[in-house]
Amino acid sequence: MTVPAQTLPPPEAPPPAAPPAAAPAQRRRALRRILRNPLSAGGLVVVAVMLLAAALADVVAPFPYELTNFDTTLQPPSPEHLFGTDELGRDQFSRVLHGLRVSVAVGVLSVVLSLLVGVPLGLLAGFYRVLDPVISRLTDTMLAFPFLVLAVGLAAILGPSQTTATIALGVGGVPLIIRVARSETLRLRELDFVAAAVADGASDVAVLGRHILPNAVNALIVQATVSVPAAVIGESVLSFLGLGVRPPTPSLGVMISSAQPLFRDGPWLAVFPGVAIVLFTLALNLFGDGLRDALDPREVRR
Amino acid sequence: MTGVPRPRVGTGAGEPVVAVDGPVVAAAGGPLLAVRDLSVRFATEEGAVLAVDRVSFDVAERDLVALVGESGCGKSVTAMALTGLLPGNATVTGEIRFAGKDLRRLSEGGLREIRGREIAYVFQEPMTSLNPVLTVGRQIGEVLRRHRDMHGAAVRRRCVELLDLVGIPLAARRLREYPHQLSGGMRQRVMIAMALACEPKLLVADEPTTALDVTVQAGILDVLRTLRAETGTAVLLITHDLGVVADVAERVVVMYAGRVIESADVDELFAKPAHPYTRGLLDAVPNPARHAEGGLREIPGRVPVLSHSPEACTFADRCPRADDTCRTRRPELAPGPTGHPVRCWHPLPDPAATPPRPRGGAR
Repeated sequence: MTVPAQTLPPPEAPPPAAPPAAAPAQRRRALRRILRNPLSAGGLVVVAVMLLAAALADVVAPFPYELTNFDTTLQPPSPEHLFGTDELGRDQFSRVLHGLRVSVAVGVLSVVLSLLVGVPLGLLAGFYRVLDPVISRLTDTMLAFPFLVLAVGLAAILGPSQTTATIALGVGGVPLIIRVARSETLRLRELDFVAAAVADGASDVAVLGRHILPNAVNALIVQATVSVPAAVIGESVLSFLGLGVRPPTPSLGVMISSAQPLFRDGPWLAVFPGVAIVLFTLALNLFGDGLRDALDPREVRR
Repeated sequence: MTGVPRPRVGTGAGEPVVAVDGPVVAAAGGPLLAVRDLSVRFATEEGAVLAVDRVSFDVAERDLVALVGESGCGKSVTAMALTGLLPGNATVTGEIRFAGKDLRRLSEGGLREIRGREIAYVFQEPMTSLNPVLTVGRQIGEVLRRHRDMHGAAVRRRCVELLDLVGIPLAARRLREYPHQLSGGMRQRVMIAMALACEPKLLVADEPTTALDVTVQAGILDVLRTLRAETGTAVLLITHDLGVVADVAERVVVMYAGRVIESADVDELFAKPAHPYTRGLLDAVPNPARHAEGGLREIPGRVPVLSHSPEACTFADRCPRADDTCRTRRPELAPGPTGHPVRCWHPLPDPAATPPRPRGGAR
């Protein structure tokens, strides 16, 4: 029993068969749009190169990061030691690469953790009025709770490590993600297409998963690209306090903080890790901007 | 909305039983939809609001019934109440029978099975009723996957078929487009295609043409008319536009301040309106022939917002024929001078001179 496919106004000639896979084409188009914008394309390239260098640090780095050489301490940058050496004669270029790996891993994983916990809670808080007060008060409480106390507590239980720093930063970032997800849900749930989906018999799960979440993704991506740099910096704070990565493992934050007393004798010790943080966060933000525009189907296609 | 407590289930206890409010448009073999004594109250910050006051009407299979009235008369609320789409601050009483089922007794899950599959809706705002980040094909397909358990190529075939049905050319290409790439008229056709995806028994069209310009409007009405002929779907058309009513409807139910005040076949209603309000509505339709007499005639005043059902005619304050009876006693829906049900103490007599229909209803 199907509706007779008779046409009302005569349609034009039968259209050519469409390729069945629309989604990959859509993603390719998004990539093309990112590359068309020089700023976001540059951001993508820089992020990709830095991620690659960090991932392949073991191969790319000219020296082991913990190798000390007391004949060449506090050398300024030279062809042999591109970023110079520190007070123990360790090659700074190798240490920046390894430090970048640690910092990026902590930054990205902690934001992923925040998203995994925060997005579902935010959607629920925005969608179910009964749950909203509970989740929102929980969020307020977490925001009122000093982040460092939380980190110290976690470090006391788990012991200071990269994992501890990731969890502490991830948990600390949850309230912000909840707020973004909740406010987007509150806005979207009042829109006509959500009401229309309900009238079509969509379940709550379908409404949240197919209509609200996809429309909230843009705001969440923007929030995530802001949160990753913040987490990278947060990691350096925790490591500086001895709650995160322990020496001799380098992270960009550890390197900057240990360079402080030596700033007059070896300014390059602080400059290169600092530049790495700035470059990475800036590139990530530019890429995030481009990604948001590219994912928006309303953006005019040229 | 989902996610909030559903309207409380009442049985109508405490409501006076009204004998006269029988089926207003009887249909042979039992109607598809029978609404009896449907009342809807909203709890608001300013106190209770009675939006629908013991409304009864029928929609037969293949019928096209128009629910007519001014803004705020309760017609949309009535439509939303059918499948429990009202927000949590609404209290619904009365009976809604649909295809042998008592919809008021169904759980939220049971109603979800009805929505989109047996009773489908088309809303007023085509510009915002489609999800902006999903392609047209995904959105139509979603309904099919949900209710019909269709997958893959079958979904695609059916989507193309549906777009053809509602008169969208290049259907296969349109399926891959996003709502913003379509015009308002196209989007409303897509909405209708979605509503028809599962061959519902009843299509509720809530002001489907209000947001569209006149030529597009004519196209959409054509679609509704043809659909009925081809698929046998009954249509409950909610509108304030009597031109649209004259054009497509078979039966008309006129609502005022939450009450049904008159109902009749469309030709009879336009020829012999019995309620002064219906007459006022007809007179308020722009008509070049009457233009010389001083332009548009309007009904003075506006629809009252009621907190309870008054023991009076709700139209009395705006009615030229009102007297003390109208202000102190509630009129019931009863056969009037012209035979069809009307809720008025002083209905208009069967006119000798037939008022002109606002627009040629020839079809």
